[in-house]
Amino acid sequence: MVAVMTKALPRAMAAGLLALLAVPGLARPAAAPPSADEMIARAHLAMFYPGEDMRARVTMRLVSRAGGERRRELTMTRRDLQDGGEQRYFIYFHRPPDVRDMTFLVWKYPGRDDDRWLYVPAIKLVRRIAASDRRSSFAGSDFSYEDISGREPEEDTHTLVREEKTGARDAYVVESVPKDPGSVDFGRKLSWIDKATWLPLKEEYYDRRGELARVFTAEEVKAVQGFWTVTKRLMKNVQTGHSTEAVLSDVRYNLKLAPDLFSERALRAPPAELTR
Amino acid sequence: MNRLKFSLVDFSVRHPKLVVSLTILLTLAFMTQFPRMRTDTNPKNMLPATSDVRVWNDEVDRTFALYEDMIVLGIAREGGVLNRETLGKVSRITDQLLAVKGVAARDVTSFPTITNVTSESGTLKVAPLMPEVPKTDRDIETLRTSLFENPLFVDRIISRDAKTTAIYVPLEKGANGKEVADRIREIVKKEKGDENYYIAGDPVARDTFGAEMFTLMAIFAPIAGMVMLVVRYLMFRDVFLSITLMMDAMISTIWSMGLLIGLGFPIHIMSSMAPVFLMAIATDSIHIFNEFYFRYRERKDKTAAIIETMHAVGRPVRYTALATAAGFAVLLFMSIVPVQVFGGLVAFGTVALRVLSFSFIPAMFTFVNDKNIERAAQGEDVSLSRSSQFLKRLAGVGAYRPRTTVVAGLMLAVVAIVGITQIVVNNNMVEWFKSGSDIRVADTEINKALGGTSIGYVVAVSKDEDFIKHPDTLRYLVSLQRHLETLPVVGKTFSVADYVKRINRVLHDDDPAFDVVPETKEAVGQYLFLFSMSAKPSDLNNVVDYPFSRANIWVQLKTWDARAMEGVVRAVDDYQRAHPIPLELKPAGIAYFNLVWNREVLWDMVRGFLMALVVVFVILVFNFRSFKWALVGYVPLLFTILLIYGVVGFSGKRFDMPISVLSCLSLGMAVDFSIHFIGRFKQKLGESAVRGARSSADLITESLLWTAARPGKGIVRNAVLFAASFAVMMFAPLTPYVTVGAFIVSMMMLSALMTMIYLPALIVLLQGWLFKEGLQWSRS
Repeated sequence: MVAVMTKALPRAMAAGLLALLAVPGLARPAAAPPSADEMIARAHLAMFYPGEDMRARVTMRLVSRAGGERRRELTMTRRDLQDGGEQRYFIYFHRPPDVRDMTFLVWKYPGRDDDRWLYVPAIKLVRRIAASDRRSSFAGSDFSYEDISGREPEEDTHTLVREEKTGARDAYVVESVPKDPGSVDFGRKLSWIDKATWLPLKEEYYDRRGELARVFTAEEVKAVQGFWTVTKRLMKNVQTGHSTEAVLSDVRYNLKLAPDLFSERALRAPPAELTR
Repeated sequence: MNRLKFSLVDFSVRHPKLVVSLTILLTLAFMTQFPRMRTDTNPKNMLPATSDVRVWNDEVDRTFALYEDMIVLGIAREGGVLNRETLGKVSRITDQLLAVKGVAARDVTSFPTITNVTSESGTLKVAPLMPEVPKTDRDIETLRTSLFENPLFVDRIISRDAKTTAIYVPLEKGANGKEVADRIREIVKKEKGDENYYIAGDPVARDTFGAEMFTLMAIFAPIAGMVMLVVRYLMFRDVFLSITLMMDAMISTIWSMGLLIGLGFPIHIMSSMAPVFLMAIATDSIHIFNEFYFRYRERKDKTAAIIETMHAVGRPVRYTALATAAGFAVLLFMSIVPVQVFGGLVAFGTVALRVLSFSFIPAMFTFVNDKNIERAAQGEDVSLSRSSQFLKRLAGVGAYRPRTTVVAGLMLAVVAIVGITQIVVNNNMVEWFKSGSDIRVADTEINKALGGTSIGYVVAVSKDEDFIKHPDTLRYLVSLQRHLETLPVVGKTFSVADYVKRINRVLHDDDPAFDVVPETKEAVGQYLFLFSMSAKPSDLNNVVDYPFSRANIWVQLKTWDARAMEGVVRAVDDYQRAHPIPLELKPAGIAYFNLVWNREVLWDMVRGFLMALVVVFVILVFNFRSFKWALVGYVPLLFTILLIYGVVGFSGKRFDMPISVLSCLSLGMAVDFSIHFIGRFKQKLGESAVRGARSSADLITESLLWTAARPGKGIVRNAVLFAASFAVMMFAPLTPYVTVGAFIVSMMMLSALMTMIYLPALIVLLQGWLFKEGLQWSRS
């Protein structure tokens, strides 16, 4: 799930980041806000690319309208090949108990479909899984694959709508409209981007009828090794009443994870530090 | 009580203007409530939200993230639907459906949205079946293969002959099925080509019926009123009096509906029928008119004629009203709220009608032009009038050949009872529409091609978490499904076991040998987890609950017959008895709701009917002050009811909701004629006996013939008027209205006939028993 999102605040890091992303932004006077495209690009990096790699224990609670609850517990690792570019994810499932030892590997490429593999321990089989729909649910939760690994900023047209406080935080409110409306399940999205950390604090997804469908909120943000990280996230489907809460614990960045971890072989025999 | 009524008549005749103005003022006061009218056409609300079946169904809906209501859009093409053009339409239509208000867009099931699990060159794919319209013939062949190799699709979204596909459109809570169906019609209308589109499903039938019901009431109530007006005019040749009679019905309708609305009740299917019922009941006042004309001819004094008329018919009119009101009032003791409301409404209206008969009508009589009455009264001579002569002959059949009449009647009754034993209890809302109607056609076509438009559930409930994941449990579900599919009404079933089997097969390179439930619970858990990694959340939620302690089997039925679901429930019970398992198997869903609802309303009405039978009998006993006479007066009523239900049984017409509602009406109305006939007969006999010295047998015969000719004319007029206005309903496009029309026409004709022939026969035959104390009987 969810991966990672964080924010990098260390000054050196921030400078590098800014240079990467937003050359015109730097040239402007400090008071002038960056363009909406830059805001989204920064938020994308802050949320999905902090550090070179990371590991976290993720506990998801899927809560149905009736109050029924399903739990998923997993360890997730991520390694970036390039900021804003290619990434690899390795996920080990702890719970529910009957899926223990299932592992999941994702190679993510900007601009084309991911590669995904899944190991099914009951039949000792690794299967490649087609990834045609990035909007589909991740493990039955209210988060889609895209919510977890990020949506390419270039896929939408962004407009700054207003600036306002959300909670105690000053935020930019950016509206994003998909360039290819047929490709996604939402008609537009509003993001509240924190001016200080660039993290999205809240997102509202409207369906194609213009009705509010899903709401994301960053419930808890912590600095981990200097990277601002949303450690508790909530995605609520306001139409079905279903919601998913994801809590990240034991977050570590820059572990110098070995590239081997992100291989088919590791799927069958994941390293001990992941399975604990 | 008599004194009070007569003084009301006296008062009204003496202050007609005051009485009429007061009536109009009161009517206007009730009318002020009309703008607050609310309607509720959802049959679901026949049962309170706290009823077991609704609570359970809501729980099932919540547990499995289901929708109460689903519309099925069938798309059929003679040459098959698997071609680029038709698929393009399917895709375009689905896309537009998602934007329709009231549609639960995320769970619309159609080619572009349904989850498909396949294996392509070693890659497992869990994705929508048709994310985009196939471009080449090869793409189409691939689609065809995926469709037919997946048992989850066949009979659900594709027919076996590939000529029909379906889009399942779930509705958000509170959405109006007719409005969504109308939007869907607009969307498909834009598509050209040789495809046929069929829109079916419970919400469409229900909400269309609801909408048409009010239109029909708005059309048929006035037409029935007009017919009555014309028939009355033909009978009495006086426009003013005919309109007075009409007003009588209208005023009581306005009072009762105003009261209902004022008390804050919404208008249900049943209470919407009240105006027509009241109009029918109002025809009873024709006895007043009938007698008035005779009296006027004899007295030539309007005021005296009015008072004498009321004196003569007051008692039967009061008692018939009492019987009718009581027949409906027993419904107040039933358990279903709309039935209670309906009973109370009509009972109130009936009482209002009678109050008007003793005040408003006499008052209006005083305004009639004397010359008109005189002209009309010319025809009211018993010896001259042809209809009176005919009625005399009719009564003569019974009076002169009593034995033959009674034996013939008994034989008919036996035949009728045989017919009654053939009655099939069933209800089918779709069949409330005529066979050529869009809704019937759509339902028939879709049910012919696919699994069925009516959906029921069988919920397997265990106390233990993860019980459903056990391979044994899943295998049990599979064999239960196979067992249910042997029922002809079951078109398709599916459950979580179908997903598990499908994934097992796909994971094993599509090897058909693996199209089974796997061996271990871990495998089941992992397959389902894998499935949930990519499928829509609803795919799994719809078939298992969160702790995997409950599973939901979908049962698609090919008919909306309440009996179909009854068969499923029985089959489940039988299966479980033969194959015990620690699971509770409970029915749910709209099909089950319809079953329960029908059963409850139906039996509630039957209970009410039986109660009304007793109450009406008691009223007869009071009216005649005699148990014996009550028994005799009861015969035409019983006979009419026996005959009608006998015909219902033989004709194969199902005993459904509308018929059960009518049974109560028939009681209150059919007994009227007996009350009038016997009441007036005894009155006449008492008068003659005092005067005459002839033999009692002759006296009885003579009085019977007089009764048939004079008050009998009122009875026949009442029956004809009643029948004429209800005959209009036989042309309605909705079958319950046709049923109501046909039922009432035959009931009126039959009970009039029974009264005219059978009562004389019985009275002649039983005179020894009835007149034990001799003929010296006075009206007291």
